[in-house]
Amino acid sequence: MADGMNVGVNLEAFSQAINAIQALRSSVTRVFDSLKDGMKNKETLEGREKVFITEFQDNLQSVNRDLNELERLSNLVGRPSESHPLHNSGLLSLDPVQDKTPLYSQLLQAYKWSNKLQYHAGLASSLLNQQSLKRSANQMGPSAKRRPKVQPSALVLPPQYVDDVITRIGRMFPDMTIELFRPNGTSAVLLVTLGKVLKAIVVMRSLFIDRTIVRGYNEDVYSEDGKLDIWSKSNYQVFQKVTDHATTALLHYQLPQMPDVVVRSFMTWLRSYIKLFQTPCQRCGKFLQEGLPPTWRDFRTLEAFHDMCRQ
Amino acid sequence: MEAPPVTVMPVTGGAINMMEYLLQGSVLDQALDSLLHRLRGLCDNIEPDTFADHELVYLLKGQQGQPFLLRARRSLAHPAAPWHLRYLGQPEVGDKSRHALVRNCVDVAASHSLPDFLNEMGFRMDHEFVAKGHVFRKGAMKVVVSKLSRVLVPGNTDNTEQLSLSSLVELSVLAPAGQDTMSEDMRSFAEQLKPLVHLEKIDPKKHT
Amino acid sequence: MGFTCVCQVPVAEGKSVQQTVDMLHKKLEQLGAIKHGSFWVDCETYHATGNTSGQPTKLLYVMHNSETPLSCMALFEGGPALTADVNFDVLMLKLKSHFQNAKGHKVESRGTRYRYCDFLVKVGAVTMSSSARGISVEVEYCACVVPGDCWNLMKEFLQSFLGANVPELPSVFATKPEGLYAPSDCIDTMTQYLELFSKVRKQQVIPGGGSVR
Repeated sequence: MADGMNVGVNLEAFSQAINAIQALRSSVTRVFDSLKDGMKNKETLEGREKVFITEFQDNLQSVNRDLNELERLSNLVGRPSESHPLHNSGLLSLDPVQDKTPLYSQLLQAYKWSNKLQYHAGLASSLLNQQSLKRSANQMGPSAKRRPKVQPSALVLPPQYVDDVITRIGRMFPDMTIELFRPNGTSAVLLVTLGKVLKAIVVMRSLFIDRTIVRGYNEDVYSEDGKLDIWSKSNYQVFQKVTDHATTALLHYQLPQMPDVVVRSFMTWLRSYIKLFQTPCQRCGKFLQEGLPPTWRDFRTLEAFHDMCRQ
Repeated sequence: MEAPPVTVMPVTGGAINMMEYLLQGSVLDQALDSLLHRLRGLCDNIEPDTFADHELVYLLKGQQGQPFLLRARRSLAHPAAPWHLRYLGQPEVGDKSRHALVRNCVDVAASHSLPDFLNEMGFRMDHEFVAKGHVFRKGAMKVVVSKLSRVLVPGNTDNTEQLSLSSLVELSVLAPAGQDTMSEDMRSFAEQLKPLVHLEKIDPKKHT
Repeated sequence: MGFTCVCQVPVAEGKSVQQTVDMLHKKLEQLGAIKHGSFWVDCETYHATGNTSGQPTKLLYVMHNSETPLSCMALFEGGPALTADVNFDVLMLKLKSHFQNAKGHKVESRGTRYRYCDFLVKVGAVTMSSSARGISVEVEYCACVVPGDCWNLMKEFLQSFLGANVPELPSVFATKPEGLYAPSDCIDTMTQYLELFSKVRKQQVIPGGGSVR
């Protein structure tokens, strides 16, 4: 533990240096004090000036002395070691009042997160580059002056086809009823009622699912004017959580070439909530965690987990 | 929502002493349209309501005294609406100068289990009928013009027979006890319906 | 309105009703439940006076619940139940020659409401003629309407603050575990309270109002 020894020696010098700093400060203070007090009352004007000047000189000399002392000591202290991986911020770990200001641990945490974020962002960007997900048509660049003929893309499917796909999916799951609405133009809004457990509103754009919101079976899905209420969230924390997870699922199930498969996979996943209140968590075996049932469903196995148990 | 403690309220709520002020008359079917026309002109300018109700009259016989009578009504037009249970007291005797019949009245909205519940309480259904007609309002006053039909097969409201070739006309106000100025307003309103219909203070006791 | 379960909690050994209630409050607060106002449930008993048929008269119970302050629930034990507005109380006054109010039999439970996630918990002290007789705990899981679905979940939650005193599935639901919890009225809840109150009524009062059983 040569490092420890080194620190011990340095500490000695440190405390002396601190004392020297204190001495320097007090002598500087004395200088300014005497300057502030001005000349003392003496018989003659010269007498006054003389006394004042000698006093001032004395003070300055003592400042000088203290400064020299400090310089001498600062050589003893030496430079802080730069071997610490976090450089100067690593010194925060030496702070003895760590309990009061957890700066250092927070800092480490932040580093960890930012590293992770960078790593994940890198992965995501390489993945996204492989899948050319052309949700916006604005990718051709300004140079392509003449637009090619509109390809029959999944964004402009005839409503009849969408209806067919939805009815077929509805027939697959007897405990799930799907009602289709077209409140504004051709875009469909689905009202999915799952058993007596939940109701989900799924906003579609052609066959892409744009947004979904999940509410309890006994909650209103229509607003006061009789229209489907696609905005307000559920009053129950359970279904707010399920809504969050359903939104995650929308991002997970992406296959731009086969949008109907996506809708079917999403519905299959959503259907696993039929036993939302009946299945204990597959990891901890309990029903409740912080007052919530297992709200997470694995995308592949459809097993139930608590939000905190899923990793 | 904080409700007041129960102990200070022996009766949790409800209007304890409501009175019904009532005038009755009848109009022949031939004159019905002109009466409705007149009422549309006289009453508050809101869309006149039509209704179709099934009324069941229940009796509870005690060991002594008068049987206790309750009327249970349900809407045929709105089957999901709550039932309406009504208690009507004996007409107040006394003041002959009062222009309307005055009697105690308690209206209760109740769930659909009402017939079963009344049976369990010991009430027995005495008779039933179907009333269809129009409701008008003028301020606090309510005018009901209704056609009454007999129910031929108990409980089957599709199979009915009209009681008469005229309609029942009732002018009523619900008010706390002691608001006798009401009857004055009612009388002047009834004047305006003459000669199509003569609304009078009719004591049901004299006809039974 | 979701699935609701009402149960009676025995008074802890050597403690008074109030002390046990305080203990339950403390446990709930440790769980993270938040106080959310107060509640009351009361029950009046009526018996028919003119008994012409000769059968033993059934008792008629008229109950009120602070969750539905403008309603009035009338029940026969094991028989039909009625939800009405508060004018039903006035009607019972009119009916007093046929149905008499057993004044001394009025039972009520009042206490504090707690919110914990989607659970609504009401811990009440049951009193009869102003003496504390026992403790009622009502737990509602607002998010689920099918009792059979969430009973295990409910049991786990009850365990977390009642320990060993977890009840069985209330008999109201035993016959219809898959059935929908009636959303518009609270008859199922009131039936459970009625059962609890009848049990409490039959209990012996031990001097000091302390222990029960």
